[in-house]
Amino acid sequence: MNPEQIITEALDNYESLLISYAWEITGEMESAKDAVQDTFIRLSRQNLSDLQPRLRPWLFVVCRNCALDSMRKVVKFSADSVEDHDRASEDPSPDERAMATEEGRRIWGLVAGLPLQQREIVKLKFEAGLSYKEMAEILKTSVSTIGVQLHEAMETLRSRWNRETTAVS
Amino acid sequence: MKMDPRITAYAVGELESREREIFESELSASSTLQNEVAAIALLADKLAAGPRKHERFDPEIRAWLLDRCLDKQKSRLRAKRTIVWTGLGLAASLVAYIGFDWIKPEQKPFQNIHLLPQDPISQYQAAPEVASEISSHSKVLAADSRKTTQFQARMPASRSGAELEHSAADRINRIPSSEQIMRLDPPAASPMACRSVDASDSAMRLKANSARRLAPPSQEFNNESYAPIREVEFVTARENPLSTFSIDVDTASYSNVRRFLEQEMIPPADAIRTEELINYFRYDYPQPSGENAFSVNLEMNRAPWNPEHELVRVGLKGREISAEGRGPANLVFLVDVSGSMNSPDKLPLLQRSLSALVENLSDDDRVAIVTYAGSSGLVLDSTQGKAKREILDAIANLRSGGSTNGSGGIKQAYETARQNFLKGGNNRVILCTDGDFNVGVTDQGGLQKLIETERESGVFLSVLGFGTGNLKDSTMETLANKGNGNYAYIDSISEGRKVLIEQMGSTLFTIAKDVKIQVEFNPARVACYRLIGYENRLLAKEDFNNDKIDAGEIGAGHTVTALYEIIPAGQTVQGSPSVDPLKYQQPEQKVVTASNETLTVKVRYKAPAGEKSSLIEIPLAASEIPSADKASEDFRFAAAVAAFGMKLRGSPHVGEIQWAEIQDIARGALGKDPGSYRAEFLTLIEKAKTIQKEAK
Repeated sequence: MNPEQIITEALDNYESLLISYAWEITGEMESAKDAVQDTFIRLSRQNLSDLQPRLRPWLFVVCRNCALDSMRKVVKFSADSVEDHDRASEDPSPDERAMATEEGRRIWGLVAGLPLQQREIVKLKFEAGLSYKEMAEILKTSVSTIGVQLHEAMETLRSRWNRETTAVS
Repeated sequence: MKMDPRITAYAVGELESREREIFESELSASSTLQNEVAAIALLADKLAAGPRKHERFDPEIRAWLLDRCLDKQKSRLRAKRTIVWTGLGLAASLVAYIGFDWIKPEQKPFQNIHLLPQDPISQYQAAPEVASEISSHSKVLAADSRKTTQFQARMPASRSGAELEHSAADRINRIPSSEQIMRLDPPAASPMACRSVDASDSAMRLKANSARRLAPPSQEFNNESYAPIREVEFVTARENPLSTFSIDVDTASYSNVRRFLEQEMIPPADAIRTEELINYFRYDYPQPSGENAFSVNLEMNRAPWNPEHELVRVGLKGREISAEGRGPANLVFLVDVSGSMNSPDKLPLLQRSLSALVENLSDDDRVAIVTYAGSSGLVLDSTQGKAKREILDAIANLRSGGSTNGSGGIKQAYETARQNFLKGGNNRVILCTDGDFNVGVTDQGGLQKLIETERESGVFLSVLGFGTGNLKDSTMETLANKGNGNYAYIDSISEGRKVLIEQMGSTLFTIAKDVKIQVEFNPARVACYRLIGYENRLLAKEDFNNDKIDAGEIGAGHTVTALYEIIPAGQTVQGSPSVDPLKYQQPEQKVVTASNETLTVKVRYKAPAGEKSSLIEIPLAASEIPSADKASEDFRFAAAVAAFGMKLRGSPHVGEIQWAEIQDIARGALGKDPGSYRAEFLTLIEKAKTIQKEAK
């Protein structure tokens, strides 16, 4: 594959996934998109034939750095912290409602209540489909930490989900 | 609930074959486990199927981005420089298009602030001038305040210089008005600001942003602040025979530089403190003999970056104290749990580092944890080292959240340290933060005063920095210095381990304080000299014998290295600024005592609890310079690190030396390298080389 194809394909395949991941970190769509723009511009400066085998984790690492950077700046400049933003209001847009099950949406709503690192792991696993190893590289931690964190996230989600469904029924 | 991560790993297909077999056999034997797996797998399926945000770029932006990327990659492949102006012109015409396309009626207000000039290019061109003007202005401010520091150090009650310096640095970082925000073009305003994209990209992005909303510069501004560093220039030994400075045992700059390079960026020059790079490494200097707290080791050879110049190494090594020999430690960790610490490279990393330290505590050591955030609290009262479980639990339960108020928690931390004061022991508050003292009372001066007062009571302060992007490097270093402590930056678990275990054992146990070095050069042998690094540690020559002047501390077993570059007498000095001859005075012909010494190193220090200083004096006899390969490994390695630091910060003093040459010197001087720190240094040189090449 030539470099142009790699870039075009990377943009096709990862645009949404990266925006979604960056959004998880910044909590705000514009800075998330900016982070992804930065990511691709950085990508275009790389030696792509060397990078290709580890393209996927690379994209997420760089995207994460850009998103974390932009988040700090946003916090600095806007009076209301990103932590206070209302996720529900951004979730979801009409066109995606069609394919979303009510149940799935509620579970992802619970994901928003997890600590940041666990949210990132859940997103990377179930949305981007990354392996533990890739996630460990991205989050600069060990594979076993990923395993523990994801499991903790799953257990938390399960118990909250149970509580919610019991409360409803 | 049973915490078995294998359940999830199994459900998502992450168990290795052997592990999976074991797990499956357990699974077949336990119906509880089967239920667990089924529940998790069901949840995993729902998550994987769940609604996705298929958010994409607006088509115009996407097209622009793709174009831009393909273009860059192409030019990269052609290995030709793209002509920036063409790119800029293209970008600008696009700017005009996208920019105006995006202005929606409800976003009108920004027009009041004259954001979009008639010609986007002219704004872009004008901006750097404004920015550089501002930044050079702030440099002058900071330099002035540095001068003030020296005077005011003698008047403890007055507003301290570092405080002024801080406020000067803030002037660049806090950006007072939105109008100024708009005028500052990021690439020039801060060397870090736009490290990821080149000028034309950022011009484009900035415009795109201004068209959308009112906070564009937040995208471009990085909030890290560094006090400006001006390299020490060559001075003549005849006119300035004395060079005086305080030792610096900090190493934070090295890990910070490493972080930048690993993110494929050249660090801003002010973040590169060459002496901290050099002192990051251990050097194998001999133990002191006799009564002295440390040994002083001198060595001289040629400067690898300029064979006509000589390099003198002054190496100090603090007396090693065995674990039994050192008093017990009374540590109070003051942990920032503000919301900004909620990032894997901050609180979780701190927790792991602390846990590693706890495993190494001896039974008589004491540990307490105080948190500070919106409210501060004693999370763990001072607990003996033998109650490891209890300490580890407290560490594991640390959670971030809330805003930062640095001052409340620090009082409680000191109080806890004083209540559990161990006589003859190592009593210390260890502040762990990402540098956020932003919300609430931020009275830097008051904080410094508090730290200085507590220092008198025998409780010292160390600072551990975490995370990226918000680092108040200069503040943290200042605080640690005021508290007779050291400042380290932790960017990985191995660094956390290095600082907390390998070093804390020694660093924490101060064996001498207020360590100052004064070197007298013999003008018969030395034409000019220059101290490498230690820019913010320079002292006036009178300060050396003044025991009231605070200086650096040295820990047990610690090494401190300083390098002087020397132009030997008899060589013509190029490029030194000329001064007109004096009109009313004849140049004084000082009588030079005949001596076969090149220089004399004097070191003053106090015992940790002492008030009066002791003096060590070591002369360096002039002798034939041995050939470069006869220099010790430590000498060669330190010289390579110095060259690396100078080249990285674009110093004119390092000449034409190439990255590969620096790498060769370092590679030939790895020595035993316990912990492989020196080997890691080789990879950093490689990174710097690649990034600079790409940037060209």
